[in-house]
Amino acid sequence: MGFREINGKMVEATVAPGQRLFSQRGAMLAYKGEVSFTPNTAGGQGGIMSMIGRRVADEDTPLMTVEGSGTVLFGHGGHHIQVVRLTGDTLYVEADRLLAFEGTLQQGTMFLGSQGGVMGMVRGQVSGQGLFTTTLKGHGAVAVMAHGGVIEIPITPQRPVHVDPQAYVAHHGEVRNKLSTALGWRDMVGRGSGEAFQLELSGSGAVYVQASEEKL
Amino acid sequence: MFRLQSSKVLAVDMTGDAVKAKNGSMVAYDGEMAFRKLSGGGEGIRGMVTRRLTGEQMTLMEVKGRGTCWFADRASEINLVSVQGDKLYVESSNLLATDGGLRTGTEFTGLRGASQGNGLFTTTLEGHGQAAIMSDGPAVVLRVSPQYPLTVDPGAYVAHQGNLRQSFQSGVTFRTLLGEGGGEAFQMRFEGDGLVYVQPSERNTIAGDV
Repeated sequence: MGFREINGKMVEATVAPGQRLFSQRGAMLAYKGEVSFTPNTAGGQGGIMSMIGRRVADEDTPLMTVEGSGTVLFGHGGHHIQVVRLTGDTLYVEADRLLAFEGTLQQGTMFLGSQGGVMGMVRGQVSGQGLFTTTLKGHGAVAVMAHGGVIEIPITPQRPVHVDPQAYVAHHGEVRNKLSTALGWRDMVGRGSGEAFQLELSGSGAVYVQASEEKL
Repeated sequence: MFRLQSSKVLAVDMTGDAVKAKNGSMVAYDGEMAFRKLSGGGEGIRGMVTRRLTGEQMTLMEVKGRGTCWFADRASEINLVSVQGDKLYVESSNLLATDGGLRTGTEFTGLRGASQGNGLFTTTLEGHGQAAIMSDGPAVVLRVSPQYPLTVDPGAYVAHQGNLRQSFQSGVTFRTLLGEGGGEAFQMRFEGDGLVYVQPSERNTIAGDV
């Protein structure tokens, strides 16, 4: 079970009876064995209420349920894929970056305003994340897409990490994030260094950063 | 100081010193960092005017602080180059970061620049230190020695360093004029002693169309 990286842009997942997978709709490239793909109208787990929640939050990337027994290859748009293994902690990721994840993980949506209040909402806007983000919690593996390769930077309490909002991919662990600004008079007169907004992540966990400042 | 975190991400460990990097190319940092835009590539008023006039504009920022700073730009491959007293010639669009100690300047390239699709001027780096240059796909480093001159497609050329003379070579024949050219009508020829960086991709150049 889990995801095996075939190369930087393709992952292979094994499905067995009783072990479901969720993936972005249309991300299947090939499969072996008896595997069925059912579009997931509820857009994930959690019944009708969370479906409405996701609709409202605009985090309702169409998902499909993958069931059966066999192996499935996933890939999308030539983007690089990073496999993240969760052991009980929570991964925060944008819904459109989510390629596939195991059914053992609990999916949810988080209101950015609940972490950092008004600044949280501002942060969502600046980083292009919107007001909501998707969370995955539990034990299992997640395949996340990014433009260019991904590097993982550990976050420890003594060592907060600042990330360019455009290059931010996902983070996990007990991490608080806030938007820090380094706006000076130079930015006002159009002579900024292009690094006026940064996401400051502190706590303990890890952040995934892509080698590009382009969104997907 | 400079190391590659992956083939597309440059990590720079800093202890209070400064590096110059392409504007907006920071993707993450830890520790304390300050970012300041350098007008005219940090070459003062003269550099600013020269760069404006030559069209070899480069928006650099100075990064100063303690900690590690990571740089990347549009998922381009990054190559580390060490400059030891010689001169590195690179297109400003291919330059990601340099040591604070390296002097940047502009130089006239003539017809070669025009064939590369990069204009008539190029950027030079002089001094002692490291630089990170970007290429579309992993670049190869080709050695040029007096016995072995090298000919490069202008669209695939990224940078060169050392004691090299370059000339412009044209393979235009009557076939080219008839529209039956092989797409390799112009080449850059390097003679002398040095290194040339070539990328596995070709920019759009005038030469590529004929």
